[in-house]
Amino acid sequence: MTEHDLTLPMSRENIEKLSAGDIVFLTGEIFTTAGMPTHDRLLGCLDGVEPLPFEFEGKTLFHLGSLLEEGEDGKANIRYMNPTTSTRFNPHMPRLIPGLGLRMTGGKGGLNAECAAVMAKSGCVYLSFLGGGAPIITAAIRKVIAVGWPEMISHYRIVNLEVERLGPLIVGIDAHGASVYDATKMAALERRDDILAQMRKERET
Amino acid sequence: MSITDEMIRQATQDLYSWALRKVPDDTKDALRAAMEAETNETARKTLKLQLYSAEMAEKEDGFVCSDSGVPVYFVKIGTKAPVTGDLKKSIREGYEKLVETIDPPLLKHVTNPLTLERGYHGKDMPIVSYDLVSDAEYVEIVCSPKALGSGRWAAMELFTFPSLEEIETYILDVAIKAGAQHCPPVIMGIGIGGTFDHCASLAKKQTLRAIGTVNENPLLAAMEERLKKAVNSLGFGPMGTGGSTTALAVHCDFSSGHGFTPVAVAFNCWINRRTRVRLWGDGRIERLE
Repeated sequence: MTEHDLTLPMSRENIEKLSAGDIVFLTGEIFTTAGMPTHDRLLGCLDGVEPLPFEFEGKTLFHLGSLLEEGEDGKANIRYMNPTTSTRFNPHMPRLIPGLGLRMTGGKGGLNAECAAVMAKSGCVYLSFLGGGAPIITAAIRKVIAVGWPEMISHYRIVNLEVERLGPLIVGIDAHGASVYDATKMAALERRDDILAQMRKERET
Repeated sequence: MSITDEMIRQATQDLYSWALRKVPDDTKDALRAAMEAETNETARKTLKLQLYSAEMAEKEDGFVCSDSGVPVYFVKIGTKAPVTGDLKKSIREGYEKLVETIDPPLLKHVTNPLTLERGYHGKDMPIVSYDLVSDAEYVEIVCSPKALGSGRWAAMELFTFPSLEEIETYILDVAIKAGAQHCPPVIMGIGIGGTFDHCASLAKKQTLRAIGTVNENPLLAAMEERLKKAVNSLGFGPMGTGGSTTALAVHCDFSSGHGFTPVAVAFNCWINRRTRVRLWGDGRIERLE
């Protein structure tokens, strides 16, 4: 396990240096949303329904939901931010990752093997955020740069943020298609019969 | 002297607000013990980070998680409790007041399942269940807001005259299906028997049991030990990135029933939202958790 202090945006070459299981901290610009309707709408943008709210090429889109408030200076302010379950977006991500040109995505719970294959092809990693990590994640926010689709409810909006040492985050899926989620799931399925046999033995004693 | 509307409203607000800011002490102790026992380095770091997140939320009086869930309350009314307040009405009003006044504000998570519209209010919100306690002079209220992360992995199956092996295999398979999705390490609540509705309620209530309490039923006590060891042998670990801490506890309860036997499994994520008060006739709101 290696720790990396990363500055965004990152080149494909540098993204490929990260391995599943590595720990990273991010400094720079990120995009966030926790909305299913937002993902549907982004797919619509790729189909030409409406223009994209931001240019995502070479950037990040994380599955993080936040409570936005308008500060006294009239600028948007985030009170708290935290990851949501990424597997909800398994149907969207195989098109969105290459379509938007994402170098990083992330949230909690990982993405499926189909997404991992797409990520390997287009040079993208998935980062695991701590669920229930709102105080830690929120503390890394330096400022809100812009808010996309403000007509949506707070956690559905696309928020463009500047962060400093956001982390620690774990590389859940690397840009070579290695996934800690697939690995742990496979291992669990392989162990299942032995575990059941052990339980049988314990019941009989 | 009586248990008034004002006390019920206040308790309803406080319980929810506390649940969002404080990880219960037994849960923090269990996370600490798991951190000591873990051999996987990433898992140890994640457990440490979870404890740090809990500590920061308390210090800053902020939320541990952004998903404040939907409001769920369990009310136990002592048959000798001097209640003059209207429990149903005051709990609803307390929740409405909470939504208006809580700082930081809640995100809109209450969802109409037919239209997917989201807000703070909706049909049957807050979700409240009532029970009676013979001879008690208090009203006890438990709040356990339920969010998507762990809520969506609960499962139930109906068997006919199942063996213990079939029951335990099903529970293990539910744990495998949930995998890394429910923000482990989790607390698992298991219901066995009764009817469809009763079994689900048993499972949910077992997620609220204090960690470290020993089941009075020897068959279930052994089952809890066996299942905890089995689930932790699966290797998902904290946040699913590997390790031997997937469940902090497995709690089981059963009910007599017919030969058709429901088995229900419910999960609480590692922050294990659970707060409890007792309201007394002399005006005290006693915080138990």
